[in-house]
Amino acid sequence: MLYFSQLQGKRVATENRTRLGRLTDLVFLAATQPMVTKLVVDGGRNHRYIIPILYLKKINSKITVADGFGIESLSENELYIRKNILDQQIIDIKGNKVVRVNDVAIQDKIVSLAGALTLMIAGVDVGIIGILRWFGIDETFGRLFRLLGKTVTSRFLSWADIQPLALARGTVVLKKEEKKLSRLLPEDLADHLETMSIRNITRVLDLMEEKLAAEVIESLNVTYQQNLFKLFTPERAGKLIARMDPDEAVDILLTLTEKRRDAILKTVPPQKLLELSSLLSLAKTPIGGLITSEFFTASPEETALAIRRRIGRETGEFSALSYIFAINREGQLVGAANLHELLLAAADTPLYRFMTPSVVVLHLTTPVEIAIKRMLKYKIEALPVIDDKKNMLGLVTFDDLAESMLEKFV
Amino acid sequence: MRDWIKKWRKRIILALAIVGPGLITAFADNDAAGIATYSVAAATFGYQILIIILPITVLLAVTQEIGARIAIVAEKGFADLIRERHGVRVAISMYGLLFFVNLAVVVQDVSGMKAALALFGLNPPIFPPAIIVALYLFVVIARYNMIERFLFVLIAFYVTYIASAWLANPNWQEAAGALILPKGPITPRFLYVAIAVLGTTVTAWGQFFINSYVKDKRLTTEHLKYNRAEIYTGAVLTNTLCFFIIVAVGATLFANRIAVTDAAQAALAIRPFAGDFAGLLFGMGLLGAGMLGCVVVALTTAYAFSEFFGYSGSLDENFRKSRLFYATLLVQLGVAMGIALMPGVSLFTITLIANFVNGMILPIIFYFLYQFANNATIMGSYVNNKVQNALLIGSALIITLASLVGVAGQLLGW
Repeated sequence: MLYFSQLQGKRVATENRTRLGRLTDLVFLAATQPMVTKLVVDGGRNHRYIIPILYLKKINSKITVADGFGIESLSENELYIRKNILDQQIIDIKGNKVVRVNDVAIQDKIVSLAGALTLMIAGVDVGIIGILRWFGIDETFGRLFRLLGKTVTSRFLSWADIQPLALARGTVVLKKEEKKLSRLLPEDLADHLETMSIRNITRVLDLMEEKLAAEVIESLNVTYQQNLFKLFTPERAGKLIARMDPDEAVDILLTLTEKRRDAILKTVPPQKLLELSSLLSLAKTPIGGLITSEFFTASPEETALAIRRRIGRETGEFSALSYIFAINREGQLVGAANLHELLLAAADTPLYRFMTPSVVVLHLTTPVEIAIKRMLKYKIEALPVIDDKKNMLGLVTFDDLAESMLEKFV
Repeated sequence: MRDWIKKWRKRIILALAIVGPGLITAFADNDAAGIATYSVAAATFGYQILIIILPITVLLAVTQEIGARIAIVAEKGFADLIRERHGVRVAISMYGLLFFVNLAVVVQDVSGMKAALALFGLNPPIFPPAIIVALYLFVVIARYNMIERFLFVLIAFYVTYIASAWLANPNWQEAAGALILPKGPITPRFLYVAIAVLGTTVTAWGQFFINSYVKDKRLTTEHLKYNRAEIYTGAVLTNTLCFFIIVAVGATLFANRIAVTDAAQAALAIRPFAGDFAGLLFGMGLLGAGMLGCVVVALTTAYAFSEFFGYSGSLDENFRKSRLFYATLLVQLGVAMGIALMPGVSLFTITLIANFVNGMILPIIFYFLYQFANNATIMGSYVNNKVQNALLIGSALIITLASLVGVAGQLLGW
C-alpha cells in the first residue's frame, strides 16, 4: 500500500533517466472503482505534464515512466487527489463535520504479466498517524510506541463509504451517519472496498451489460464471486458463467451446492455447457488431501524485522517457505507477501505496507487441475486454501500438486 | 410611505441579525492586555499617544472587514482555508504558533482579572479559578445567541471607562486636539510604546476569530453591507473607548508624573486624583475586559482547532457533538490559569514572548488574507478591489514593521 504523502514530491524520470520533474498530484476516476488514471508532474518553469498511468513503469525511490510517454488532458469524471480530496472536510450524510482527510491510501497492484501497474484509491486516512506522516515522523512515532509494547496504526475510511459524485462539488460526503461509520485498519481497506463494490454491483446489475458484468465479476476475489453467485437467479448466473473464463467458472460452480449448480447449468448455452461439463468431470480430485499446515502467518501490523526474526525462530522445521500470509484480528486472510518483498522492506515497515491485499486463493472444492492452472497463470508456487469466512485452512504447494498429477500417470 | 417603512423595517431586522462579530472582536481587542498597554502608554506619554488612535482604527477596520467578508462569501473559517489551500504541514505550524500566542494572551487576561479582583479585595486562589470555571461551564452549556448576549454584557463594562475619564476632569479640548496634531517629539521610546498599543489591537487571534465567529453566525452575502458597517462601527467604538482610557490615565497619572506598569496599578493610582469611584470603575472595566479576553481568545483557539483538523465545532452544538472543540477550550483556559496563578511568574516575560510570536505570525496571516481575498475561486465577485488591496498591503507593511520594531524595542530595552 502507498500513501499519497509519500508519493507527492517524488522525482519522476523516464526509463532512460531523463528527469521530468516532481510528482505533484494524481488524477483519478471519481467512481465506485477509483482508479488512478494520470500522474501530474511539475517540470518547473510552468511545465506541467499529465501522464496517463499506462506509461507508469515503477515506483520506488523515484517514479519511472516509459520513454515514449504521451500526455493527455483531464477527461470527464476525473478529479485530482490533492486538489479535490486531500485536506478537505469530510461530512457525513447528515451534514455533520467528521474530520479532515489527512492522507490518501493507494493500493498498487500488478495486473498483467507485462508488469503494468494499476493504482486504486483504497481509502482516506483520518488518523493522527496520517498527519505525522507529512512530517516524516510517523515511523519514529510508531517505533516509540512499539518500545512501550503498543502498536499504533492510522485509521481509515474506506472509499466505499464516500459518495464519489459529491467530490466534484468540493466536499467529501459520506454515505452513512458518523455513528454508523467504521474506522478501518489499513489491512481491511481493500477488502471493504470489494464488499461494497459487490453491493453496488448487485444494485446496478440489471443496468449492466452481460459482458461488462462478467468482466467485473472476474476481477473480484474468489470469495466474493462465490457470494455473488449465491444471490443470482439461475438464469442470470448461467448467462454470466457462459461469459466467464471456464476455469474460473468451474471453481465458482464447485463451491455451490449440487442442486444449485445443476439449476445454473441448465440455462447455459449447449456449446459452453459441453466445455464446462468436461472440466467438471475432470475435476474429480478434491484438493483436501494435498493441504499442508506448514505455513507462516503474521499480523498486518507486524514489522518486516519482527517477521524476519520470527521466521528464523519458528520455521526451522519447515520443508519450504515462500510466502507470509497476513491474518487480521478476525482470523481472516487479508494479504500475502513473498520473500522477495519481505527482504526488500525496510526493517520498520509493517506487513500491510508491502503485502498484496488481493490474494489468489483456493477452496476445498477447487479441483487440482484448476489449482495448477491458477498457479501457472499467476506464477505463484503455493496457494492458500480458505473457507467461507475467509479463514485460512492451509496451503497447497506446486510440488505437492505436481506429485499428485504424476501419480495419476504412473 | 408604506414601502418606505417596509424597506426600513427589513433593513433594521437585517442589521440586528448581523450585530455581534464586529463589535465583539473589536472590543475584545481591548482586552485586559490591551488596557494594561494603554494605561502604561498613557501614564508615560499622556495625550501624546492619542495621535495613533485614528490610524489604528483604520487598520483594524480594514483587516477585520476583509476577514469577515471571506468568512461570509466562502462560508469557511480562516483556518479552514489555510488547511485546504496549504496542506497539513502549514496548518500544523500555524496552529502551533496560534495556540502559543493565544495562550500568552489568555495568561495576560487571567492576570488582569486576578489583579482587578484583588482591587475589590477578592484574592486568589479562590476567585479567579471560580470565575474561569464558571465562564467555561457557561460557554459549554449556553448556545451561540446566549453567549453573544453575555459578551455584550461584558462589553457594557467598558462604559465604566467613559465615566472614569469624566471623573478625572480632563481638558477635553486638548485631548481631542491630540487626536490629530502631534504633541511632542517622536522618540524611539515613543515609537516603541505606540507600536505596543497597535500590537494589542490588531492581533493574530483577531483575524482568526472574526472569520470563525462570523461563520458560526451563518451570515450570508445578503448581510455583507451591514456586516461591513458593523465592523467599522466596532472599530470606531472600541477606539473611542481606548481614547477615554488614555484620557482617564493621562489626565491623572501623566499630569502628576506617576508611572505605572500595569492596569491594576493604574486603577489604584487614579483614586487620589479622580476619586475612589473612578478607580473602582476603572477596576470593573478591567475585570470585564479580562473576562471578555479569556472567553474570546480561548474560543479562537478552539475554533481554529476544529477548523484545521475538521472536527465539529460550533457554539450551537452540545458537548457530546463538539467534544474536541470544548476540550481545546478547556485546555487553553486551564493551562493559562495555571500559569497566571503560579507564584513568581513574570508577566513581563510572557508579554514579551506573546508580542514576539504575534509579530512573527501577523505577516504570514496578512499574506494568507491577501491571497484568499484576491482568489476568485474563493471569493467570486467579492474579491478585493484596488483600494482594499492597497489598504491591506499598507496595513500589512505597517503592522509587520511595527511588530519587528516592537520586538527589537523589547529586546533592546527601549
